[in-house]
Amino acid sequence: MGLSRREFLKRTAALTAASYVGINLPFKNENTSQASDADSWHKGTCRLCGAGCRLELGVKNGKAVALRGISDSRTNYGYLCMKGMLFYKLMGYNNPDRLKKPLYRKSKKEPFKEISWDEALNIAAKEFAKAVKNHGNNSVAYYGSGQALTEETYLFQKIFRGGLRTNNVEGNPRLCMASAVGGYLTSFGADEPIGSYTNFERASCFFIIGSNMAEAHPVLFRRVMRRKLDNRETVKVINADPRVSPTSRIADLHLQFKPGTDLALLNAMAHVIVKEKLYDETFLKNYATFRMGKKKEVSFEKYKEFLKDYTPEKAADICGGNITPEKIRTAALWFAKSEGTVSIWTMGINQRKRGVWANNLIHNLHILTGQLCRPGADSFSLTGQPNACGGVREGGGLCHILPGHRLVKKDKLRHQVEKLWGIPQGRIPPKPGYHTIAMFEAVNLGKIKAIWINCTSPAQSLPNCDKYRKGMSREDVFMVVTDIFPTKTTELANLVLPTAFHFEKTGVYGCTERRSQLTVKAVDAPGEAKPDVWIVREWALKLSKELNDPVIKKCVEPFLGKEPDYELPKAIWDEYTQKLTKGRDNDLRGATYEVLKKLPDGVQWPAPTKEWALKGGTDIKFVRGLDPLADKHAKDQKPYQFYGPAHPDKKLWIWLRPQRGPEEMPDSDYPFYLSTGRVIDHWHTSSMTGRIPELMRANPYAYVEINPKDAKKLGIKPGDMVEVASRRGKNILPAKVYVGPCEGMVFVYWHDQKESRMINRVTKDAFDPGSKEPEFKICACKIRKVSGPKPLKPFLVEMKT
Amino acid sequence: MKSKSRKNKGRRQFIKEILAGSVGLLSFRYKKASAITSPVTTNRLRPPGAVSERIFPSKCIRCGRCVEVCPYNCIVPLDIKEGIYAGTPLIYVEDIPCYLCMKCVEVCPTGTLQPIKQNETRMGLAVIDKHACKTWNEELALCRTCYNVCPFKETAIKLDQLRPVVIEEYCTGCGLCTHGCPVVTKDGKKAINIEPIYSQGPVKW
Repeated sequence: MGLSRREFLKRTAALTAASYVGINLPFKNENTSQASDADSWHKGTCRLCGAGCRLELGVKNGKAVALRGISDSRTNYGYLCMKGMLFYKLMGYNNPDRLKKPLYRKSKKEPFKEISWDEALNIAAKEFAKAVKNHGNNSVAYYGSGQALTEETYLFQKIFRGGLRTNNVEGNPRLCMASAVGGYLTSFGADEPIGSYTNFERASCFFIIGSNMAEAHPVLFRRVMRRKLDNRETVKVINADPRVSPTSRIADLHLQFKPGTDLALLNAMAHVIVKEKLYDETFLKNYATFRMGKKKEVSFEKYKEFLKDYTPEKAADICGGNITPEKIRTAALWFAKSEGTVSIWTMGINQRKRGVWANNLIHNLHILTGQLCRPGADSFSLTGQPNACGGVREGGGLCHILPGHRLVKKDKLRHQVEKLWGIPQGRIPPKPGYHTIAMFEAVNLGKIKAIWINCTSPAQSLPNCDKYRKGMSREDVFMVVTDIFPTKTTELANLVLPTAFHFEKTGVYGCTERRSQLTVKAVDAPGEAKPDVWIVREWALKLSKELNDPVIKKCVEPFLGKEPDYELPKAIWDEYTQKLTKGRDNDLRGATYEVLKKLPDGVQWPAPTKEWALKGGTDIKFVRGLDPLADKHAKDQKPYQFYGPAHPDKKLWIWLRPQRGPEEMPDSDYPFYLSTGRVIDHWHTSSMTGRIPELMRANPYAYVEINPKDAKKLGIKPGDMVEVASRRGKNILPAKVYVGPCEGMVFVYWHDQKESRMINRVTKDAFDPGSKEPEFKICACKIRKVSGPKPLKPFLVEMKT
Repeated sequence: MKSKSRKNKGRRQFIKEILAGSVGLLSFRYKKASAITSPVTTNRLRPPGAVSERIFPSKCIRCGRCVEVCPYNCIVPLDIKEGIYAGTPLIYVEDIPCYLCMKCVEVCPTGTLQPIKQNETRMGLAVIDKHACKTWNEELALCRTCYNVCPFKETAIKLDQLRPVVIEEYCTGCGLCTHGCPVVTKDGKKAINIEPIYSQGPVKW
């Protein structure tokens, strides 16, 4: 422990050197650029979370030097968090770690060698063709990302579905918001929130459950906080979370329940609302039905009967923590009686064994009380990634959906897509492909022989990742990874292709509130890094030759010869919006590149015409007069028209969903709940934020948060090294003793790339049977003190060539 | 001072530092080095429980045990050029802050570092430079790193409408906020700095 003799002497020597001249030299000022230094400013969207903040990139002599917010933008009004202000440091040659040349190795045990693009794409085409020829079409797969541009996801899935005839098209949004999709579809009949952020300024009650938005979405949290602080008496904030987080700070009421008991809490709130007759009778009569199954409608009486099991007293017993029947009643009263209630949630609800059900139960409260479609009333799920909504949910980036909110298994919709692409009917297989966990299970079993991983790092982000890394390191699985930095996943790849970063290519991001925003290229990519759309197009041409299949070429034919920085993504966007979203609920025909460039922010769909798009699109869906599609689909004179494609009766469904706990409950061997989450300075696997020194310094490594009472029992002091172990793996992390997690629960951040601090080696890969989203948020673990404090070093994966 | 990878670069590095230092001479960072003025200044602090600076150099026997025991390597023994302060322990908070593990206090054989509770430690006071702080200065930036890293969040530092405010009564001066602060000003300080306002306190033997 402490200083070695050698180190001691070295330091003394260094100190002497510095003190001879009487000053200290720890700082470099070259990185502190001033906004005024820039020659030109280029509009775009933030690369990080799903809030969709608009910002401008300052460029000087072709080099990115600064980022600043755009005050006219309706998402952030010019505000940015530190991540948003600093990611210019990753652009162009600003960061030495950027991947600059295609890298290849035949065996995963060899070091990488630099090769040319032509060789790289030949190899990729040959390997995919070989897999298809020898093992069938379903032996290849694409695993994409909610951070890829819409054009990229769209083109990838077009080649895989239309060209390679497989639905093995997945993406990391399966890990983050698949349950929200399931919730919206089953409750409202249409995916994505009804309202917008504008409701934050009009709400008088916020119900924040399973979200630490103060850290994960700081700019949106500012809007909520502003609303609360300007109306301290009239605006109520309820925060329901097993952990006291920075979000809880502004809450009037903090509901701290045991992990996994929130379904009982939500049902109990419904119980109070029904019992006190706080529901909106006309709204229910006009717009809602009660369901036990897709085809099984039940009566309101039956629902009341069902709620009898969830009296506040019973629920308080189940929930534990600080929950009392009184608190549940207060929460339900505030929720129902306010002039407008906005519910906000993220991963605490979605990443669960019963994530869809939990989503349904939140929607239930809104339908019951009619807290929907009005200004300030909405059931609003936040997204974690900048283009999970736009690219993946709308662009067809999951195994069961096609572009424009179409289901793969619906023959009519599938044939529509085939026709629009101009490929023979029957090219797209009718069966959905592997969902994420099944896909990596198939990789483990050797069923998938070639996989393309784009812009994400499943080797770190999958739950129970050790299990799936075994499959990814198999010699008979050919893995292509497209990324900008080395990650835990590039370590397992055969072929690593360097791509252009944000602002080094052109494309659209669609954020949480159905808003599509354009970012145009402003700086050059370093070395030979290329835009993804160019990579896919060139690869598809080679693949077409290898497999002797002209249909693959047909898929990219409209895009041939276009220059890749602007014309190519524009052609892809035009095909997607003009052809594929026509007549769908996410109609984006008005949102052309020209329109998107004119607006300070972007366009919220439905936006069927340019005139409507130029006004910013649709603020609240389903309301006649505000939503052009509500007028178009109107069957009667009612002000709200729930025209969503998933509900044939065009009504909202209230679901009878019982309380269900997590897959793995704590027991005598593994007595603690383990939950994971984000910290403000880092984003996801920290491959980007870890390379920004300012952010890395603030949070150099992950730690485990332990409740002081538990720490006392186990003799753990702040800074001690603690082993967190589950049935799947273990981590050794420094402890933070802190009244955050409730007693019997520990909390770990998941951004650290160091193997001994990578918490997804510990988490469980159980998943929701409906949405197939894994239960990252709850599993059982045990903890013990390993040693006293140790000096730790931040860690990032480096590329060895 | 502590430069990365000094392997095989000793001589080269040394010359570089001298050169850089000579340039730096023109603009002294905090103060001139002197054999008799205390090295304790902004962001240069004594370990927890230190006695008044007025008697520190006479009480400390330069045994280096606090330096040795510190698990985070944050305590540095001062160089011979510091005159009468040579060998005494100092913490450069923006390099490695004090994590308040309180181990140094336990091993001090002379009572120069006196037993003290973690939350009663007063190494200094965090002072926000409102002209340099992004959140205070630029209205549209949302940074609260100092708040996030503080071990006494909500007690020693609070957010007033998302802007950090230090509560003087509870700040231990550990320097985690200074270390974390993403802003570096032209004179090498941060937007939140630790001022050792208690270092010249009353003498307690």
